[in-house]
Amino acid sequence: MVKKISAIVLAGALTLSLAACGGGGNNAASGNDAEGAKGSSGKKQVIKILHWKQENINKAMEEINAKFEEKYPEYKVEYTTTGPDDEYKQAQRARLTANDVDILADLSGMRLSPQEWTPGAKVPDWEQWINSGLIADLSDQAFIKNWNANDIEKAGTYKGKVYAIPTGKVAMSGLFYNKEIFEEHGLEVPKTWSEFIELNETLKSKGITPIGVAGKDVWPLKLPVFALQAKILGGGDQQKWIEGVWKGETAFNDAEAIEVLEKMKTLQDNYMIEGFMGIDYASAPSIFATGKVAMLADGSWDAPTIATANPDLKFGYFPVPATEDAEKNASFVGKYDVTWYAAEKGPNKEGALKWLEFFSEPENYTTFVKAAGFIPTMDGISTDSDFIDNELTPYLGDFELAYEIMMINRENVGEHLAAEGVHTEYLAPGGVYKTAKELADVQQKEWEAAAPR
Amino acid sequence: MYPFGKGMARYLPLLLLLIPMALYLVFYFGPSVMTVIYSFTDVKNIPGSTMKFVGLENYYDLFYSGNSGERWRSITNTLIFMFVVTIVQNGVGLFVAVLLNQRLRGDYFYRAVFFLPVVLGVAVVALIWGMMFDPMSGPVNMLYDWLFGYKDMFFASFTHAFGYIIFVQIWMYMGYSMLIFLAGLQSVPKDLYEAGYIDGTNKWQSFRHITFPLIAPSFTVNMLLSIIGAMSTFDIILATTDGRFNTRTMAYDVYKETFRGSLEMGLPSALSVVQFLIILVFVVVAVRQTRKREVEY
Repeated sequence: MVKKISAIVLAGALTLSLAACGGGGNNAASGNDAEGAKGSSGKKQVIKILHWKQENINKAMEEINAKFEEKYPEYKVEYTTTGPDDEYKQAQRARLTANDVDILADLSGMRLSPQEWTPGAKVPDWEQWINSGLIADLSDQAFIKNWNANDIEKAGTYKGKVYAIPTGKVAMSGLFYNKEIFEEHGLEVPKTWSEFIELNETLKSKGITPIGVAGKDVWPLKLPVFALQAKILGGGDQQKWIEGVWKGETAFNDAEAIEVLEKMKTLQDNYMIEGFMGIDYASAPSIFATGKVAMLADGSWDAPTIATANPDLKFGYFPVPATEDAEKNASFVGKYDVTWYAAEKGPNKEGALKWLEFFSEPENYTTFVKAAGFIPTMDGISTDSDFIDNELTPYLGDFELAYEIMMINRENVGEHLAAEGVHTEYLAPGGVYKTAKELADVQQKEWEAAAPR
Repeated sequence: MYPFGKGMARYLPLLLLLIPMALYLVFYFGPSVMTVIYSFTDVKNIPGSTMKFVGLENYYDLFYSGNSGERWRSITNTLIFMFVVTIVQNGVGLFVAVLLNQRLRGDYFYRAVFFLPVVLGVAVVALIWGMMFDPMSGPVNMLYDWLFGYKDMFFASFTHAFGYIIFVQIWMYMGYSMLIFLAGLQSVPKDLYEAGYIDGTNKWQSFRHITFPLIAPSFTVNMLLSIIGAMSTFDIILATTDGRFNTRTMAYDVYKETFRGSLEMGLPSALSVVQFLIILVFVVVAVRQTRKREVEY
């Protein structure tokens, strides 16, 4: 009896340790199950989709998935969402490297790829994944033709092959403004920097807080800076300035870069809501929607959230006027959003392609892009959105990608430049740097220290 | 002699121990050794990628690359965190434990109150204090304003955020230290105090010469737990400031670099090894010092 027990215990211990080692093997086995099921029984194949939480988009996705399952009853869509940003990146990595996902979204389009003039630059995750053969090549898929060729080229192509579908564009460099407050005081949308400052002064003199921003999360502070960077750096040619930084021709403490920091410091010091460094991103829309501030620095994607927070509010969106040249100021800076990749080694690549094909049908894409509030990346799509048609479209002529998308960072660069930002939160009174120049000098020093050996 | 019987049955306990042993080897010892090995390579978190031995390059990068200034600040922060938490948490814990040991009315209630934050969990604690410390509408800021006419940014302040995190950490785990001290206090024989009373000792003397030496084992345990705990804390930082506003510690850096930095695994491995070595030094010194004081009775 006892002998038997000990044998069982020993066997148990052995299997346990084997099971622990066999993580990779397990996956292969479940993959085989799926294969077998397809041939014989009517068991459904699962398509695993990974995305982050954003209520309006999530709802549309569930709608699309339900329609997909109806059309292709042999598939079942498993749609998983995690928290946004870092939490999502972590899930992305874990699931993709474990071959446990078929379709995954990226937070923006594919850019930031190291160039020949950026020796030792940080290689972005997506590029490492493609180089390791984890992402499926979509070049030959018929559904790619449904999308705007220019957008696919700009945000989904790497080394001449298509790997991703960018599902929309968003404007990031604008300010939401409360139309009622503007009308009541006879104010107009400013077209130049001095008009903008004048507007802020008028609001202040009437006892209205001009600008709200969610400083606690830090990244929302980058949004108005994107406008300043795009219009000021390199005389309006960011790409030139960024290349110059790598080649040593421009610098983080040259006059243009300091002007960017100084203008943002002016806004932070004088016109932003008191205690803005304590406002978290989730509560920013309601601060604006309840009329506590006249303007809100936020991305165009938050328009549906603001409308939900106060359905009666009349609001518009205009680009932060960075310079004295009204014409130059009149366009948005932004990025591509929610970009779909299909996993090459996922459990169900075939299903993933089917799903992307289904998603690329104009009818289904319309459902998605309407809910998301994105600017469509497919031609001939009507979003029926006043906000997009009247507030965004007039400023889309010279739509440029934001600094955070264009900047190629050095590996291990310091915190004052990390995450492709300029981090104005380090400026006084919140931070320790009293002037824009001081921060700029630290940034340039960190940039040089991170140079490859 | 053999509680499980004779013959083969004698080996049953050993066999049963094999299970935790195997689990320990697979899930703890193995990964630990791998971390040390990884810290000398350029391994990436991508299956099938190649791995090259790079010597001490990762360690060099840690302290000499563009963001090395932040590394030193993380280390300084970790040490500040450890010293303040260890001293204050145990000090307050001991004080409260001594008070509660006086058999005052409702001591069980107070015990529960002081221990409650430990049970709450980090997420809830961070949420509570996030609301208390809200710069716009939090009650603490109203209190500051009313008392001193001063307002603070709390978790969004470059100069104060770390202090508030230390406060929250102490608030949370103070009850834990208290409980261990309380257990130690209750094991001190009452007759020693009576003997002291006859000899005419006052309260302070009986604490200094009877209580203090006799609860030395509790001190050892508490010191050890709070040093290791404080050095490896990252959850409360993650939940309150997420490393912004000068609140990064080594443990947070390891987490950040491993799971949210680049796909490189070598650098965070090197960082964990450095962190381990620092903890080891402090634990060895602390245990030596406190063990010296333990007395037999």
